[in-house]
Amino acid sequence: MSTNFVRLVLLIMTTLLPLSSAFAGGADHPNMGETLPLYSVIPFLGMLLSIALFPLLAPKFWHHHFGKVSAFWAVVIVVPLLISYKGLAVYEILHIVLADYVPFIILLGSLYTVSGGILLKGTLRGTPIVNTAILTIGTLLASWMGTTGAAVLLIRPFLRANARRKNRTFMVVFFIFLIANIGGSLTPLGDPPLFLGFLRGVPFFWTFNLLPHMVIAAGILLAMYFAFDTYFYKKEGITVAPDDGTKEPIRLEGSYNLIFLAGIIGAVLMSGIAKWGEVSIFGIHRAVQDAVRDGLLIAMAVLSMVFTPKTLREDNAFTWFPIKEVAILFIGIFMAMIPCLKILQAGTKGELAFIINAVSEPVHYFWITGILSSFLDNAPTYLTFLSTAIGGFYPGVVESQAVSLLIKENPLYLVAISAGAVFFGAVTYIGNAPNFMVRSIAEEAGTPMPSFFGYMIKYSLTILVPVFILITFVFFI
Amino acid sequence: MKIEKILFPTKFRELAFNSLESLLVLKEVGIKEVVLYYVIPREDVGFVPYGGYLKEEEERLREEARIRFEDWQSALSKQGIKSKIIVEVGDPVPNILSVAEKEQVNLIVVGRKKRKGPELSFVGSHTLQLITRSKFPTLVSKYMVQFEYNGEKVTRVNDDIFKKPLLASDWSEPSARALDLLKSLNGIIEKAFVCHIIGVKISKGLDKSELYRIEKESKERLEDYCTRLKSEGIVAEPHLGAGRTPLEIIRISREIEASMIIMGTTGKDRLHEIFMGSTSHRVAEMSELPTLLVP
Repeated sequence: MSTNFVRLVLLIMTTLLPLSSAFAGGADHPNMGETLPLYSVIPFLGMLLSIALFPLLAPKFWHHHFGKVSAFWAVVIVVPLLISYKGLAVYEILHIVLADYVPFIILLGSLYTVSGGILLKGTLRGTPIVNTAILTIGTLLASWMGTTGAAVLLIRPFLRANARRKNRTFMVVFFIFLIANIGGSLTPLGDPPLFLGFLRGVPFFWTFNLLPHMVIAAGILLAMYFAFDTYFYKKEGITVAPDDGTKEPIRLEGSYNLIFLAGIIGAVLMSGIAKWGEVSIFGIHRAVQDAVRDGLLIAMAVLSMVFTPKTLREDNAFTWFPIKEVAILFIGIFMAMIPCLKILQAGTKGELAFIINAVSEPVHYFWITGILSSFLDNAPTYLTFLSTAIGGFYPGVVESQAVSLLIKENPLYLVAISAGAVFFGAVTYIGNAPNFMVRSIAEEAGTPMPSFFGYMIKYSLTILVPVFILITFVFFI
Repeated sequence: MKIEKILFPTKFRELAFNSLESLLVLKEVGIKEVVLYYVIPREDVGFVPYGGYLKEEEERLREEARIRFEDWQSALSKQGIKSKIIVEVGDPVPNILSVAEKEQVNLIVVGRKKRKGPELSFVGSHTLQLITRSKFPTLVSKYMVQFEYNGEKVTRVNDDIFKKPLLASDWSEPSARALDLLKSLNGIIEKAFVCHIIGVKISKGLDKSELYRIEKESKERLEDYCTRLKSEGIVAEPHLGAGRTPLEIIRISREIEASMIIMGTTGKDRLHEIFMGSTSHRVAEMSELPTLLVP
């Protein structure tokens, strides 16, 4: 960390010390959410806007300094919180780190490591049928190996299969829609927001309630894709390539990683079923089965690293950079998110009561969670609106109990939040982490990709949004 | 084994061109082409968090590399050596190995890293991976190095690296191939040295008579190596050492004022490398001399 950065942090801290007195009203109050001022959510908004705007406006600055930006917003909120709420703030920070952030990164890291050890090799010809089959398989896999894992597995073979095709941009866009987003809606392994829900008490198989929504959305998109691809395939006049003897049979290398993938699924399932009591880590009570799950996930990743040859990962262009970047960014997001979550959980007693009063129907939750998930990362957005819903229905009730009550009494709200967070992640490049990774890999391979607004106007607004309107009418009105 | 085509990957660090210049003498022994290679690390242009791909940055880096390489090319063409520029985005180590394979080069030349920290190694993690995995002879070039010698900081310029090479042999097949490579350098070598070290692992626990037998056999083998070099017209001198192998090789190289060290390397796997180390890699890491490792 550069000296300049340390100076900057110190400057911010000294500037913020007087501000912290404004927080002090709640120093002796056990409920942080009821006493936090509205402006305590500014660092969270700043963090999310940084993620949304810096890559567009100053991509080089962001590329080199995103860690410092993340640390900046974390410091801006953590210092006043610690000064004002002392032990309570320490507890909340440790709680969000140990109960949310660490398991979240461990799950993403293990899925990424294991799926990065599986390599699809062989000669695939990018016909409309083959391409639609790849997209369908990827959509089905995404819920079990994560949207990132399925995207890592399939994007390079997909691009190689279509290297001879002229119109490739729309293919990658549909890949983002289906495999990097909508496909991940069925299990907590699929998309980060659903895992955060799982950590807060949503049962593993409950997310299968999104199956009808997913089938409709994916079915329409796959049919549209097939129609587009058939049209362009004919227009391009692609002829069958002569067999020059270089045709390789399709094969899956590193398929033993599927065993480790099954291990990950098993470990997450186990943590949702087993009840082995609690253990205290730094004063934070964590379920023993959750700690065991995290240990097993790390073990699966380590086994994958040990058993997978280095050359296979190199052929997959596997690098730690994407997961490192997620870990750095998300520590800032999770820190900055604390006041927002606490205020929302306080329900109408908190400063964000106007949101809780305004968002009252499932259709509101679907669209507001969705629209915000399009432009902000969908994981914190999901948590924010989960907190809004439980704050609205069950203010002051312990979170895990409130989640159970929400599922029992008002499940449509949770369906709306989950579907909004997962589906709308596809609307922009910044909605979900794998989107920009897929875009990056496609551009590196020479596939021209639309700009941020080009993607939205040409594809999301014209293709995705009508599908979401249909889903709204079928399920939420 | 003859060096006709060299792969010269570079990060354009200081003195990289001087390092390339020090190889031009190989023209006298048949070098025909140099492949100038630059890998733009994927992380520098791709995976911009929430952003995508820095296409313009990639173009800029490509152009910068092209301009620098074209400048180097003129120095090569003045010597009548052909050259080729390759710039790719990727992961340095696998990309270098794959280009070496594709271009069927005879030698890979990699730079040293700056010595810092307690480890004081001249070999960075990329170079270590490369010399561990390379199927091609790999020269760790160290054009200008600073090191401690007799308690003093010394700066050394390795610009005439083929003048007095030291071949450190353990009588393995890679060592024999290193000898062949050394023979192909006839014409640019002033004097060659051949050494063998009776390592601690071998000498420990042996009775004197057995030690004498090994010593005698080693001397005979050293003479045999020297004779083979002399038959190619290279003046050669044998040296037998004993003790910790890497340190002893370095000691001898200093005593005889060698200009480089040539060794065979067995390309041990990663696990072995971590726990046991490899003599050739240790020498490459610790010696201030350019080190040519022959697999």
